[in-house]
Amino acid sequence: MSSEANGLTVDLKAAINRDHVGDVGVPAGAELLAFTNAVELDQADIDATRAALADVIGGQATLEAAAIIAIFNGLVRVADGTGIQLDQGVFTASIEERDLLGINEFAGAANSTDVVAVDANAQAVHQLFG
Amino acid sequence: MSDIEDAQQTVREAMAQPGDWLTGEQRLAVWRELRDSSSNELDQQRRQALSPNTIDGVHAATKELSASAMEVVHRTASDPGRLTRAWADEHISELGEETYTELVGVTAIVSVLDRFDRAMGRPEQPLPQPTAGEPARVRPDDVGNIGAWVSQTTGPTKANVSRTLSLVPVTNQAWRQLVDTHYSHGAEFMNLQWEFPLSRPQAELVATRSTALNECFY
Repeated sequence: MSSEANGLTVDLKAAINRDHVGDVGVPAGAELLAFTNAVELDQADIDATRAALADVIGGQATLEAAAIIAIFNGLVRVADGTGIQLDQGVFTASIEERDLLGINEFAGAANSTDVVAVDANAQAVHQLFG
Repeated sequence: MSDIEDAQQTVREAMAQPGDWLTGEQRLAVWRELRDSSSNELDQQRRQALSPNTIDGVHAATKELSASAMEVVHRTASDPGRLTRAWADEHISELGEETYTELVGVTAIVSVLDRFDRAMGRPEQPLPQPTAGEPARVRPDDVGNIGAWVSQTTGPTKANVSRTLSLVPVTNQAWRQLVDTHYSHGAEFMNLQWEFPLSRPQAELVATRSTALNECFY
């Protein structure tokens, strides 16, 4: 959604493939993915990937990237720990993408068996945070 | 200091204060256990196993946290993607759904604070001193069964992810402050071409890879 609004064509399959750290159609995508992988996987190159990213997008944007990595570590825990269900609108709007991208293979998928119709108009991530 | 770091400082202090059903000392104990989980042998064995249920062993109770509370914190910290409803029901039955939810929430919040410091190459910060006092012990009136493992607000909201900690409003306030400053940016979230230093597509790329690495189905 945001890529379309910004005139970009993003390779989503590459974006979720942990082994891919190259271009995905987003400016500085390779550096962003390398930094994200380093932090999430607790690799030894966190400092190096952060410095490389800052060289390309600047210090403040790099801090914002670190904040997003951090908050998603919390989001996954509150979502999985409280057992929230996928919202009906998101579920129906993303059936093909989930299958294509292999998201249905994630362990947590088994918990979203009772999809609740909460906001049938919510069809994208950006509509989830009210 | 940025809005992000300001929020972290506020939330860091809040974690040392009495919460919804946990004392400040108990909330800080959760933080200690989160830090322990990265090297805890039982957690690592479970994480590497095909199923965590195949590994024998329990986390012993501490002065601040019961054995059940320890289990909730360690599993939420180390292997959240493989939690199940049966597992949650067992601990909700023992702890009560409010305390269970606060344990999950505090674990999530302190994981954000520590992960950010790690990402920025900063040393692990010492835990704050606990503030004495009693928890609020207030169960909101507008919560009920909406299909999650714990009661959540039935009132108007955008989506389920915004309701996760609504059962524990003190903890939820800290959590929402982090979400707002670290990712959603309030009303700007609806703006797909926002003008923050990290562009919206860049932000979504980082979010996408992070959730994929965490195998978050939601």
